[in-house]
Amino acid sequence: MPKGMMVLVSLAMLLLLSGQSAYAQESVVLIANPSTPPGSMTRETVRAIFAMRQRTLPNGEAAHVFVLPDKHPLHERFTKEILGVYPHQLRLSWDRMVFSGTGQAPNEVGSVEEMRQRVASTPGGLGYLDKGAVDDSVSVLSVE
Amino acid sequence: MIASAFYRWSNHVCRYVHGAALGIGALIAGTAPAHADVLDTVQVHGFLSQALIVSRHNDFFGPSSQDGGSLQYTEVGVNASMRPTNNLLVSAQVLSRRAGDDNSHYEPKLDYGLLDYQFITGNKRVAGVQIGKLKQPFGIYNQTRDVAFTRPSILLPQSIYFDRTRAPALSSEGISVYEEEHLHSGILHFQAGVGKANTDRNVKETIWGSRVPASIDGALSSIGQVAYEHGSGGIVAALTVAEANIDIDGPPGAPDRYSFQPIIMSLQYNHGYWSITGEYALRRQSFEGGASDQSITGESWYLQYSQRFLEDWQWLLRYDSLVNDRADPKGKKFESDGRGVDHSQFAKDWTLGLQWNATSDLLLSTEYHHVDGTGWLPRNQDESDRYWDMLLFQASWRF
Repeated sequence: MPKGMMVLVSLAMLLLLSGQSAYAQESVVLIANPSTPPGSMTRETVRAIFAMRQRTLPNGEAAHVFVLPDKHPLHERFTKEILGVYPHQLRLSWDRMVFSGTGQAPNEVGSVEEMRQRVASTPGGLGYLDKGAVDDSVSVLSVE
Repeated sequence: MIASAFYRWSNHVCRYVHGAALGIGALIAGTAPAHADVLDTVQVHGFLSQALIVSRHNDFFGPSSQDGGSLQYTEVGVNASMRPTNNLLVSAQVLSRRAGDDNSHYEPKLDYGLLDYQFITGNKRVAGVQIGKLKQPFGIYNQTRDVAFTRPSILLPQSIYFDRTRAPALSSEGISVYEEEHLHSGILHFQAGVGKANTDRNVKETIWGSRVPASIDGALSSIGQVAYEHGSGGIVAALTVAEANIDIDGPPGAPDRYSFQPIIMSLQYNHGYWSITGEYALRRQSFEGGASDQSITGESWYLQYSQRFLEDWQWLLRYDSLVNDRADPKGKKFESDGRGVDHSQFAKDWTLGLQWNATSDLLLSTEYHHVDGTGWLPRNQDESDRYWDMLLFQASWRF
């Protein structure tokens, strides 16, 4: 193996050991259409659905993912706190799905209010809101 | 000139779009009673990239070493997708790509066209099958290699993503199965496919030279990839093994099969705002049948550091090394056998690049290459220089 690769491998190992990130107390919550039974989803499943790799919810319903624009503060908090990635990394995984024919892009909404309305009116809809902004029109899913 | 090229292009596109519309229409007609909202799932996306290449000593993608450089690097793509049922995705993309002289009419081609059915979608596992013309999961970047927004630089590391024989590695017509395991520590991903390898005129000319009256056809080929993403993708490790076969119908006594068998190891560390990526490939190429079997194994690797700054900017530094034949890394034997110059058998490329996401749909990039060797020049240039430089600019737009 060339020397450069050895350096890379050792560097990666070092960063793996030192770079464990802790999830802070989450102030943003995952919301779903009321047709989806309340409950929980694993973090990996939420990641797979928001990365657009998984097209249905665990109950078999078609997933319809709603997101705010990349630079929206709530979107940034959701991607970092719940998914553990930065918005630009999520955008890259969407592009890789969309332009290889293996997935679709999520539905982008313009405002927090539109997020609530679209998730509330779309069966299989998934999105996110500030914890304090949740009302009865949507259900909240916990992330394990 | 440009107008007439565009006219031809739009005619071709119309044919594809018409075909796709008929197909999608038939699907909707079949599923309409149960799913009136299928049309809501239709998405159309596309991209357009244009580069300017200015080089010293050697030409890359057109007459780049002459006055003013070359504009012969253009990528235009349009795709459509829909979900007729919960688990089914239908998608197709048309790509028009010019990289040097070989497609001066900007003729579009079907890049992929597939059905993707996910038969398991649980909390722990996702599994599916794809049928059609599929992009190959070859290393980290291959499946979307023509989309500037998914590349860290204007040119991908050419030692692994080289242009000359890109067709067989790019796509195949066949079937592929994939499975994704959701583990506590991350995601394990498997994919395996078989199909008929894609070919084009470049492949034929690389195998034969343009003057030999031979024809080639893709044969049964296979690919497998296992990948692991740690956490939320902080570390990505992948191993790809493939065999792309091409049947040759050539002069008597000539080989009847060309086979490309790469093994690629990929490793990436993502720290959110910076990442280190390395890939190492052993590339075995062989000719079978005919007077004698021959094979050579090439070695490719690169190491790349990229960092985002000021939100929308990213810079990159990369060292990329290609050796055509591990048994003759400096090309000495190649030259003493009278087959060409030694420096055509390797390439060592230092790249320094800069990207700016001016808006979320517009990407402006520039990069500088200093290259020792001509191992991945798209055309064999008989009078090439060993040391050469290249400066590229690219604007890319998507929707």
